[in-house]
Amino acid sequence: MSNKFAILLVAGVTALCAQETPLDNSVKINLPPDSPLTLISANLGESHVTQRGSAVVLDLDVTLTLHNSSPNRVRGVTLLVAAQEVTPGGKASVSVPSLDVPPSQNFPVRINLRLLRPAQIAGGPLVQVNLDGVLFQDYSFYGPNRLDSRRTMTAWEMEAQRDRKYFKSILAARGVDGLKQAMLESLNRQAERPRLDVQVSRGRAVTSAAVAEHNARFAFLRFPDEPVEPVEGWAEIAGNEARNPRIDVRNLSSRQVRSVEIDWIVTDRQGKQYMAGSVPASGPEFNLKAGSTSRVLQDTALRFSRISNDGGAPVAIAGMTGFVGQVEFADGKVWIPNRESLANAQLLGILEPSPEEQRLTDLYRKKGPKALADELNKF
Amino acid sequence: MTHPNQSTLALYAGQDLGWFARRRTERHLARCGECRGEVRAFASARDNLVALNELPAISWNRLAAEMKANIRLGLAAGECVRGERTVEYFSPFGLLSSARTLTACASVMALVAAGLLLQRSTPPLQTASAGEGAVLRTTPNGIELNQGGQTLSLLHARSGDVTYSAGAQGSMRAGYVDSDTGNITINNLYVQ
Repeated sequence: MSNKFAILLVAGVTALCAQETPLDNSVKINLPPDSPLTLISANLGESHVTQRGSAVVLDLDVTLTLHNSSPNRVRGVTLLVAAQEVTPGGKASVSVPSLDVPPSQNFPVRINLRLLRPAQIAGGPLVQVNLDGVLFQDYSFYGPNRLDSRRTMTAWEMEAQRDRKYFKSILAARGVDGLKQAMLESLNRQAERPRLDVQVSRGRAVTSAAVAEHNARFAFLRFPDEPVEPVEGWAEIAGNEARNPRIDVRNLSSRQVRSVEIDWIVTDRQGKQYMAGSVPASGPEFNLKAGSTSRVLQDTALRFSRISNDGGAPVAIAGMTGFVGQVEFADGKVWIPNRESLANAQLLGILEPSPEEQRLTDLYRKKGPKALADELNKF
Repeated sequence: MTHPNQSTLALYAGQDLGWFARRRTERHLARCGECRGEVRAFASARDNLVALNELPAISWNRLAAEMKANIRLGLAAGECVRGERTVEYFSPFGLLSSARTLTACASVMALVAAGLLLQRSTPPLQTASAGEGAVLRTTPNGIELNQGGQTLSLLHARSGDVTYSAGAQGSMRAGYVDSDTGNITINNLYVQ
């Protein structure tokens, strides 16, 4: 009987604290009239809004079914998720790369988010979902591109082509057994890849410790075919925080470069290397003509700690390495390092796998080598 | 393996356990991932509650008073039920030997602790200007943008292997294969 009373008490308190309300018009999905994708349905599943005093918690788990109404095969989609006035300046997006959707076919995109914000903010939908971009098989692009989705999805598609070609060559040369071996190696690399917990903030917001700060210099890895070379670079280091990376780059090609992304590796005091993130530079202020030099600069702080369930210990940064991870030319074409360069620089064990490699290894794990071989033979 | 009950884990997450119980729970958590996950969930819920404190629409004092009244009601009802039982229940040792009574006490303690937690003085939700104090981080279920107590999270529930990457322009990315659609899905959060 005592247990029953306790349960009743808990239920009572919970009911006082939280009140669920229907979603009503909390979510709005906007596709432009001339969009190559049309919305077939939006399944809100168990999505709900909970009122907690003067705050609102939105748990959104929506699966959109989109229809490819264009004459081209869709390779990737990015949806911009805007959460009204919450977290001013904050935005979210959900991208689905590595697609192969023929014309007139439907495909799903799932968005799963949680939003906590004050309820007193003026009306309108809590969340708006807008199309930011669609990438097609021929690398043509549709969309407002507010999030630079064109470059990102083009790079993912190029990585997908690169990695599919690699695994297809193994399949052709060594058969399904060879493909199986390559998959096991990839899974092993993914499992053993050193990882850190990284917090990102603009400026100096995450700084907490009174640790001596110093300027640390980047060491650079070079690739034989890179169109842009890193010249020199620095970041401010204070304990486990790295701030304001700035890297000078020179355009070695004969074409104008619109954006550059430098991948950033940090080394701890034991000499172990971790992928820290990337330092991108793009926009009108970044103009890298043929043969010219420019600076990649970000006013950001990254804080590194060990991955742990209870809040990991800080990881002091002993060294930094950078390399050119992506270059976008003025005509929209993108350069990425080839697989051989990454292997030669021993980066495959440090970098996260490409989305396509992640998808293929997942397919292998769930459905086996035969299903993977069938998938690779599709295109 | 015997697991601590939910009340104990909730109290542990809130650092409200006594010394002995805390040590015992710590020993268990050191070898039990499932319970560590529970503690993380309680800690996360507690963070949310902290962020929700001081909200004008709820009178926390009234809520605490109602909780106390409900607890008294529960105890009184318990006494009614026990009324016709033997006198050994009035002995302190007999009282402690009853599993039901112990469970009831633990539940009441959890409620009292929750009440105290709700009454803690914490900063209210703030309206921050663009980018000010915004932090992107990974959580066990996804990636989160937190600014002035307001949060926006993109979740990857029910998905196994997730790759994270940070962008020095102020972004955080999580890539995973969605278990329902089978598609690789990449969630991004940005601070500007």
